[in-house]
Amino acid sequence: MNGNFIWLTIGQIFDPTVAAYALATIGLVIHFGFTGLLNFGQAGFMAVGGYAFAITSVIYDWPLWASFLAAILAATVFALILGIPTLRLRADYLSIVTIAAAEIIRLSVKTPEFSDVTGGSEGINGAARAFNDVNPLPEGRWGLMGTPLVYNQDQWWVRIVGWGLVALACLLVFLLMRSPWGRVIMGIREDEDAVRSLGKNVFSYKIQALILGGVLGGLAGVVFILPRSLQPDNYGTQLTFFLYTIMLLGGAATVFGPVVGSILFWVTLSLTDGLLSLGIEAGVLPLTTTQTGPIRFIIVGVALMLLVIFRPQGIFGKKKDLHFA
Amino acid sequence: MLAGIRPGQSARLIAMLIASVVLCLSVVLGGSALGASAAETTASTSTATEQSILVWVRTDADKVGVPNVSISVDGDGGAETGVTGADGKAVIPVSEPGTYTVTIDEDALPAETGYPRPSTNPAKVEVFEGNTEVPAIFFLSPDNAKGAVAAPSDESTSTPTPGATGDAGAGTTTAPVTVDTFWLRFWPQLVTGLIFGLLIALAAIGASLIYGTTGLNNFAHGELVTFGALMAYLFSGVMGLPAVIAIPAAMILGGLFGWAQDAGIWRPLRKRGLGLIPMMIVTIGLSLALRYVFVLLFGPDRLTLPNSTKPFLVIGSVSLKFTDVAGAVIAIVVILGVALVLTKTKIGKAMRAVSDNRALASASGINVERVIRVVWVGSGALAALAGVYVGYYQSLRWDTGASILLLIFAAITLGGLGSAYGALVGAVIIGLIMNLSTLWIPENLKFVAPLVLMIIILLVRPQGILGRKERVG
Amino acid sequence: MPEKTLVSDITDDVIVPGVKKKDPIVVAHAVSRRFGGLTAVDVAHLEIPRGSITALIGPNGAGKTTFFNLLTGFDKPNTGNWTFKGKSLAGVPAFKVSRMGMVRTFQLTKALSGMTVLENMRLGATKQGGENIFISLFKPLWKAKEDEITERAMQLLAKFKLDTKKDDYASSLSGGQKKLLEMARALMSSPELVMLDEPMAGVNPALTQSLLGHIVNLKDEGMTVLFVEHDMHMVNTIADWVVVMAEGKVVAEGPPSTVMSDPAVIDAYLGAHHASDLGTIEGQLEVAEEMESDLIRSEVEQDAEAAGIAVPTHEPAHSTDAASTPVDGEEKK
Repeated sequence: MNGNFIWLTIGQIFDPTVAAYALATIGLVIHFGFTGLLNFGQAGFMAVGGYAFAITSVIYDWPLWASFLAAILAATVFALILGIPTLRLRADYLSIVTIAAAEIIRLSVKTPEFSDVTGGSEGINGAARAFNDVNPLPEGRWGLMGTPLVYNQDQWWVRIVGWGLVALACLLVFLLMRSPWGRVIMGIREDEDAVRSLGKNVFSYKIQALILGGVLGGLAGVVFILPRSLQPDNYGTQLTFFLYTIMLLGGAATVFGPVVGSILFWVTLSLTDGLLSLGIEAGVLPLTTTQTGPIRFIIVGVALMLLVIFRPQGIFGKKKDLHFA
Repeated sequence: MLAGIRPGQSARLIAMLIASVVLCLSVVLGGSALGASAAETTASTSTATEQSILVWVRTDADKVGVPNVSISVDGDGGAETGVTGADGKAVIPVSEPGTYTVTIDEDALPAETGYPRPSTNPAKVEVFEGNTEVPAIFFLSPDNAKGAVAAPSDESTSTPTPGATGDAGAGTTTAPVTVDTFWLRFWPQLVTGLIFGLLIALAAIGASLIYGTTGLNNFAHGELVTFGALMAYLFSGVMGLPAVIAIPAAMILGGLFGWAQDAGIWRPLRKRGLGLIPMMIVTIGLSLALRYVFVLLFGPDRLTLPNSTKPFLVIGSVSLKFTDVAGAVIAIVVILGVALVLTKTKIGKAMRAVSDNRALASASGINVERVIRVVWVGSGALAALAGVYVGYYQSLRWDTGASILLLIFAAITLGGLGSAYGALVGAVIIGLIMNLSTLWIPENLKFVAPLVLMIIILLVRPQGILGRKERVG
Repeated sequence: MPEKTLVSDITDDVIVPGVKKKDPIVVAHAVSRRFGGLTAVDVAHLEIPRGSITALIGPNGAGKTTFFNLLTGFDKPNTGNWTFKGKSLAGVPAFKVSRMGMVRTFQLTKALSGMTVLENMRLGATKQGGENIFISLFKPLWKAKEDEITERAMQLLAKFKLDTKKDDYASSLSGGQKKLLEMARALMSSPELVMLDEPMAGVNPALTQSLLGHIVNLKDEGMTVLFVEHDMHMVNTIADWVVVMAEGKVVAEGPPSTVMSDPAVIDAYLGAHHASDLGTIEGQLEVAEEMESDLIRSEVEQDAEAAGIAVPTHEPAHSTDAASTPVDGEEKK
């Protein structure tokens, strides 16, 4: 291990996984930050989107656009199934239902009985084939301004599309939240009875928000599996908790917060990893290299606690933008 | 809702939180004897510019990773070799995309872990440009013969083709149920379900009391359970103390842990007037942090408590170990004790009063903070006992508690949030449903049944099966 | 004092509980609501006269707020039917009730504190195309309507003397200003019936007069007002008609002067305190001192202090412990 980790860390800024996390967090921001829906099952939305995409493209050989559509539809259906019965419940009930639903999805796709379709506990590999087939970039490897960050055409392709989707999602959230629709949504977050008394169909708005954020989660699930194989255990409750950390890092009710938060989250993880490894090699830290993994996540957990307690508006948020607590 | 923060208070909070981190780290720096190697447990990001294959060798029975297995990979990008790590995984980088053959060295496998399923070794893996950690998973079982290589077929390889896993886990899943075998399987599942229900109940009663008295959904309750299990392991597995000492010691430490959490985190946060939802997210952060502190200290592997697998009690098709029977008896005694405390003692009545109506209880002179403190201590001790019990019942690990957290929630929800008796009844129902459901649905899905039940209960009767409807106006 | 509607314009019948009105806007029949074993509301028959100000009074726990919730669709009754402008409201969700022209406020003000005063007002406007998710994406499609409602909001804010605070967060307003904002917001939808749940609770005495004025103005502008209130002075001053509830039932109704002297009302509602003039803060204090509820006591005391009236000192009832911990009830919906 040497100074290379610095480049790895910088590489995180373009990484498609970071884009996927940002996209999923934008969905979560719509749910929790703007509408006040305590969705603890965003990992489930990602799983549903990812599986819909992988199953249709790998197993049924659907064209790329159809697979994307399948991911969007699947997330929509999941949102409807989850939302229609539960959105009338209290906030903490919703959180338990969503976290349970996400676990049900994960456990079900893992089960060998469905492995013909879902790949069981091994998941599905090769979902990116159709996606890479439409890659307009010429073959080759390019670096970024002479840095060691060199990627091949497919790696550039997934980065461009992933971050393009993030940019589109940010634009969408910006347009929505400055509009009367966004006003109703934020009113619901503050006090849904008040909004109801003003003649707004609160339930319908909540469903719309749940679907919208869920679809972004589903698309995030697609971006997430493009550079890797789909594995059911990646969609545990922990993933949702990471997304919450990212959301709170950037600010729960902001347009660009998820992007900033996601980059910050991964850069911190990568830096910690690198620094710890350096320390171990130099003999400063009495740890084994494999122990750096848990330390990163201890930091995540403690950071989540500290953020909620001391900076609920996010690292860069202003106090007056505090819309949660 | 964020109340004004007094500087002193805020400083104390920071100090406490930092102290907790420092504590964890100092234990490590002090040279943890238990510090085993920890596995990367989440998805790694694809920062590598190359492809790789993730080889994972696991036992069929309990899906534990098998370390030190030699692997050879051969294919379009040349040949590579590797050895599985402590978690049974090995990541083999390959320079070119293409088809690879992954072979594990069966000669080096210990006989007790067994050999791969027929015709799964070697496995064929297809790697695309940029793919990292393409899985090649081998399940070992003593039932398989060494070198059982059938004629290679698509079914048996680990290619991206669906169905590659074939009949993974088939050994545990349903055979056609006939009337005779149904009852043979019914009774053991019933008893196991009851025992597991009691185990969940120990943890659920505490979580329910915490919810009742503070309104907090404690997502870190699973870590109280894990803590108890690990303490029991420390005392009995590592230090070799007898169970009679190890178990009470684990419970006492569990109670202390509960007290420390309340005094160090929850009470200050209540004083700050932090809302319940932010507080719930704080419990999530705590849960994550604690889980990985456990990994750091005890390693990522499964640990077992000294336990005899000899059948102790055999009735018909039901066969129980000594620890199953003793555990059930202890659990029942403890639960009866909790019931006595709740109904007969002053503090117990105060707990119920606070759960019922906190403002009223406070107005009638009950020291609510003291009640909450007692609840935390009691919950910590009960959860620790549940953890000990899990340790004997199955095996334990850093995420043992986290893996039953949703079952605890399901039990509380079923019984009506905040009611201790409800939690008990809910837990037993959860235990039964979970185990009896395996008579009809695949074993792997047994966690799903109670979760589905919980969702249904929340939808049709959110006050729980025992709860009464609250007045909303 | 405002012009009151004559009793003869409201009804010609003999005045008994449930009397027929000449021109009722709301008619409730056999409406009951039970919580477990407790019957919170059991109203045999009640008609609310159109174009007048009706007060709903009664002791704590009489079911006034529950009845309000039932009428506005925020709660569902176990039995009964009720109509608004002749249309049945049974099973109609709250938001549709509001769209039909029956808008309510809440006992605990529901100003949306994380939004500005002006945004609160805009939210009150109905028929906004921009509230559709697809239209909302294109500003030109909703810009004109937005300008229109902003103008209307500013007019109303000016009337309620909140126009200077339009860009402030609602959380920065005083309790009374929040009440005013909530009322102004309800008026954005041009309702026919305005239902106010304890409009005076927690309002600084300095604001009460202007609040009273606003309520009377609603009537002058042709709206019907139904309000729940504890403040007898306010009831006497502005109500044309008073409905008294006790233990879920309507025990009396009629013009204020008659109802206040009805022995049944004095028994049921005023109890031992009828000698005190509840219309004055001193009178309220006297009663509050004897009441168990600290909440009411402190509320009255705050009003009294604001009005410069000496408050008798007494021992704080609770330890600071209890006061500093959040109460569960606040979190519950």
